[in-house]
Amino acid sequence: MRLQFVLTEVLQGLRRNLSMVISVVLVTFVSLTFVGAAALLQTQVTKLKGDWYDLVEVSVFLCPTGSTAPTCADGEATEEQVDTLENVIDTELSDVVATTYFESKADAFEAFTQLYPDGYQGTQLTEDDMQSSFRLKLVDPEQYQVVDDVLEGRSGVEVVEDQREVFEPLFLALGRASLLAAGLAGVMLLAAVLLITTTIRLSAVSRRRETGIMRLVGASNLFVQLPFMLEGAIAALVGALLAVGGLWLAVQYLVTDWLQDSVDWVAYVDVGDVLLIAPLLIGIAVLLAVVSSVVTLNRYTRV
Amino acid sequence: MIRFENVSKVYARGARPALDDVSVDVSRGEFVFLVGASGSGKSTFLRLVLREERPTGGKVYVAGRDLSRLSSWKVPSLRRSIGVVFQDFRLLPGKTVHENVAFALQVIGKPRHTIRTTVPEVLEMVGLDGKEKRLPHELSGGEQQRVAIARAFVNRPQILLADEPTGNLDPTTSLGIMRLLDRINRTGTTVVMATHDDEIVNEMRKRVVELSTGSVVRDEVDAVYGERESILPQVGQTPVLDAPGRGARAVQRVQVTPEPADLEAERAAEAAAARTATVQEPEREPAPETRGSSADEVVQQVLREHERVRAGREA
Repeated sequence: MRLQFVLTEVLQGLRRNLSMVISVVLVTFVSLTFVGAAALLQTQVTKLKGDWYDLVEVSVFLCPTGSTAPTCADGEATEEQVDTLENVIDTELSDVVATTYFESKADAFEAFTQLYPDGYQGTQLTEDDMQSSFRLKLVDPEQYQVVDDVLEGRSGVEVVEDQREVFEPLFLALGRASLLAAGLAGVMLLAAVLLITTTIRLSAVSRRRETGIMRLVGASNLFVQLPFMLEGAIAALVGALLAVGGLWLAVQYLVTDWLQDSVDWVAYVDVGDVLLIAPLLIGIAVLLAVVSSVVTLNRYTRV
Repeated sequence: MIRFENVSKVYARGARPALDDVSVDVSRGEFVFLVGASGSGKSTFLRLVLREERPTGGKVYVAGRDLSRLSSWKVPSLRRSIGVVFQDFRLLPGKTVHENVAFALQVIGKPRHTIRTTVPEVLEMVGLDGKEKRLPHELSGGEQQRVAIARAFVNRPQILLADEPTGNLDPTTSLGIMRLLDRINRTGTTVVMATHDDEIVNEMRKRVVELSTGSVVRDEVDAVYGERESILPQVGQTPVLDAPGRGARAVQRVQVTPEPADLEAERAAEAAAARTATVQEPEREPAPETRGSSADEVVQQVLREHERVRAGREA
């Protein structure tokens, strides 16, 4: 009885305020789409990092002949220096480094000729033009700085390079994009709160007669306010569902069907990730509606 | 049932108090008229009983509750024991007669089967049997007020407050409404009615509490409205009232034709009461008094029957 009555009231309220309800739906839809986009970008960044950081190495380039680096003043790195470095890596960096691989000049030349069988930009290089190096795979790629602190500046080491640096611009761009989305989401959420507040207020004012009688005959506060709360919550919920649907479509058609086909060596977000953030979006929508209705109703339908 | 102990109410700081040290005690089952000029504090009195306002000073007790200590979440339960009727009826325009009355039960969470039995009973009692599907604007003023009374009484409150219930009605229709309120009063419901209608007060001969600028100036049992001139403020000469022709006696008194629909409703109410009486208790002794008593007893009978049915259902 009560439930049916409340639902009838809610439906009536929704119908009477249709244009406002639609605007609430749209604003929550857009704002939650931005929230979802920010979350998906973050997921994408995490995925890429997980994927790529397994592949990256730290390269410790040893002095070639004719290097101008101060540590290379003695000319090309000697075998003695190489042994010392290997020893240092094995002892001081044993916690950080997972595997060590020494690439001699011969190995480097082999790799080079494989990559450029016809010479690089028209010049045929010789093995002596190559540079020997240590390739270190780290247990945790984030600990590059430790390796750098230990090895940089030792005699025989020309430069320590982190391959992660190659990806930094991409991650920076993705991070900024998700920040931008989050910022826009914040603005839109504020608009959504204000709009829901206004809608509920309008609904409450247009039904003052009913609520007045409800209060006179002794309806409880919850009973008077519940229809309004549900109205806001339903509108926000529909907006959230639309946002989830929109993100699902975007991921399905833009990422899975299009990006993945053209650039297939990257791990992308998929619809599974959209479903993972769906509860978050719905939760935000409900929270939004409940907070704004409690604030409004306490002012407009108090006993 | 209602007790005011030295109650004062000041709406705005520094303003003249709407009620000033008022002490009134209304016992269970009493019928009290609240009279006085506009602004004398009648409505404030009723609002304090409903706890729409809190007194600035003094104590208000209603149905055994100390309203100054009543927490706000208990106010709904207080209001369930009070029915209210207004001058402007306050019906919901989009709902039918039946829905308007049922609304009062729905919003306090009564089960559907209770509503299905109770609403027709109370509509029959007020004489609106057969008009359940009408909308308020299709009814006469008297009939609308009957719907409002049905709504106020459908939950069988201990107290019925009426704020000038006959203020919008012609004298004959008013009389019908008063008979209805009287019948409700005889079921044991305490009735407090604020009114300006001296004819009604004089006819009913009930307790009269007269308020003047916030103070009780008279509290008499079996009383009359009193001197109209002393209760209502004197109006000095004004351009409008002083217009040419003022003072010349009207050739004919304005005749008010009562609303036929409402007379019909009144007859229906009486008939319904009488019919139920013969069905319920055929060999009942006729009551010694003649004036409307059989109808009143029938109402009581209906209510007792209702209680019995409800008790049986709950058991």
